[in-house]
Amino acid sequence: MAKRNQRPAATSSQHRRRFLQVAGATGAAGLTGFAGCLGDFDEEQDDRDVFRFGAVTSLSGDLRFGGTITERGYDLWEQRINENGGIEIDGTSYEVEIEYADAQSEPSTGADAAEQMIDSGIDALFGPYSSNVTLAVAPIADREQIPHITGSAESPEIWEQQYEYTFGTIPAGNVIASESAGSIFDFQPQAESVYITGVNDPFTSDTAEAMREAAVDHGIEVLDYELFPRDADWTSPVSAAMDEDPDLHFHAAHIEAHVDFLNAARDLGYDPDGFFSHYGVDTESFAEGLGEDAAHIFGATVWLPRLDRGGDALFDSPQAYADASESAFDVTPDYTQAGSTAAGIVYQEALQELGAAPPLSSEQQSELVDILEEVEVETFYGDINFETDGDLYHSNVATDILTIQRTADGFDVVAPDELRESEPTYPAPAWDER
Amino acid sequence: MDLFIQTLINGLLLGGIYISVGIGFALVFGVLEVIDFAVGEYVMVGAFAGSVLAAGLGIDALFVVPLVFVAFYAIGFFVQPFLHHVTTSNVPMPILMALVFTFGVAFFARGGILTTFGPNTREVPTSIATGGVTVSAIGTFPVARVLTGIFGIVAVAAFLYYLYNTKGGLAIRAIAEDRTDARLMGINIARYQSVAYGMYAGLTATAGVFIGIIFAADPGMGMQYTAFAFFMVVLAGMGYLPGIIVSGLVLGVAQAMFSTYVSGAWVFFVLFALVYVVLLVSPQGILGRGEPVS
Repeated sequence: MAKRNQRPAATSSQHRRRFLQVAGATGAAGLTGFAGCLGDFDEEQDDRDVFRFGAVTSLSGDLRFGGTITERGYDLWEQRINENGGIEIDGTSYEVEIEYADAQSEPSTGADAAEQMIDSGIDALFGPYSSNVTLAVAPIADREQIPHITGSAESPEIWEQQYEYTFGTIPAGNVIASESAGSIFDFQPQAESVYITGVNDPFTSDTAEAMREAAVDHGIEVLDYELFPRDADWTSPVSAAMDEDPDLHFHAAHIEAHVDFLNAARDLGYDPDGFFSHYGVDTESFAEGLGEDAAHIFGATVWLPRLDRGGDALFDSPQAYADASESAFDVTPDYTQAGSTAAGIVYQEALQELGAAPPLSSEQQSELVDILEEVEVETFYGDINFETDGDLYHSNVATDILTIQRTADGFDVVAPDELRESEPTYPAPAWDER
Repeated sequence: MDLFIQTLINGLLLGGIYISVGIGFALVFGVLEVIDFAVGEYVMVGAFAGSVLAAGLGIDALFVVPLVFVAFYAIGFFVQPFLHHVTTSNVPMPILMALVFTFGVAFFARGGILTTFGPNTREVPTSIATGGVTVSAIGTFPVARVLTGIFGIVAVAAFLYYLYNTKGGLAIRAIAEDRTDARLMGINIARYQSVAYGMYAGLTATAGVFIGIIFAADPGMGMQYTAFAFFMVVLAGMGYLPGIIVSGLVLGVAQAMFSTYVSGAWVFFVLFALVYVVLLVSPQGILGRGEPVS
């Protein structure tokens, strides 16, 4: 006997009906929600009175420390300009807002993050840390026609691709290497030969090639030019170089490979008149890796806090910028952080010239790119002016390149003449006389 | 001729570095049957330990070698039971689980160092093991590399002595031969496996101090030593410990000669090819003394 309140078993048609009811209700709710999201998005787009920037950089993974440097640079610009009331357009000031997406040190993740960031309706994009991730994000910026300024990428490969919407405040690595190499060739007694080694990756091989071209341009004999894998043991290349007895040795690599190479040179007693590497010689990592043996090595940079350069509306001088960084993050800024902040200042100048309130339409974003191509900005970082033609298309070509030499307790600028802090110690003393 | 001899010296001393890393890896592979992906990270953490201890105590890095060995022996001794649990508990594919476990240890070590010390390269300070000794008409012998090579060969000799002349060594060989039979013979498997893993961790981290003296301590330095440890074991022949000396020297000399006389850019390609050819032609290693492939 059936219990009185017991429900009869559901038939298959009842199951189907129930399923359709639930599916229909869920679908309707989902569509309503989706429409609601779109509604909010459009409303936000129409109503906002801030400039929204997206920044894709590496906040995790191997490059996270570099990514954090760019983040500090972008954040310092955001903080300072908002303290000053924002960007003034036709008498009204608009604050800026930067949203970050994590590239996780992977080019493909950076590209995905850039896509999502652009889809969310930003006005413009700040670039990632590292050339590899930048090379993945730049085509997205071109396809979506959104302005993109990177404050850290140096590989000339980025500019050779001639991406219309991508710009960079740090001069290309090959330009830095070439100019510094040229200044070292002018030291007296003038070198007659150079031996060039490097690590075989995109950035450093371009740098090594630039060193070779600079040598040829200056009439210096290149005794050998060879690239090695990143984890190569450097004793054999050093022995081969010793056998040729060059006046100078140029080495194109990242910091770890510099340290390994110079340790091998010291242990084997390899003493050319000077060692030069454009990248990383001004960093703590280089100094800590080599200890006292870092002294007398030549390097290059584009910015130092103690430089006697002018300022801009936000930072009076390089030192004022360094003080602001110390105050905000308790960190002495390097040229990557400074270049990232300078990217913000360039946007600020260009937006003021555009004279359009946020949000920017697609047409206004394209106009902004046209303005960026023409812009000439004086900043605490140096002059910024983007190349509009050739292999350095949209790279900053206005900033001075500085040749430095490590000393016992830091480093001095030794070229160009007008910024020289001390005469170069050249020829450098032998390892056992240091 | 001078360059040839110097290149040969460079290659032999480079082989000494590889031997110092490979001995521990071969040990843990032979006894525990574990492929430890963390080997390079033990090298890296050992180099950082050498840097921090030497700077902190204000002494030459060579004098912290015993401290690092003891500290990492203890770490290895206490890590091994977890590895044992992973490889013997009721999970599918325990060998794969061991790989995952050691991958985890490697990531943890690298992430821990990056978080604690940052990405910077650090000097492992020494005033003793610096520079080189030049012997006229022969070449220059970098002191740190010579010491590293001596350490590697002494470590191999000492460990072989332990294996073949002590009760503990007999127990470890019995475990490597047949774990079940060893247990039936009353051998404390867990204890001797912990001893073996502790020795591996201690030896490898100590090699890291020497390698840090030669180059520097860098958070990204580990991976290349993991790769070379694999090469060493394959060339030596699986489970044949004396072969580690030969395989280290072959790898070092081949790398140096090829780099100097053929092409620096292709040097790792040639080493990969060498290992591949040995696997195809002589799967029991270049001396043909490794375990036969079943």
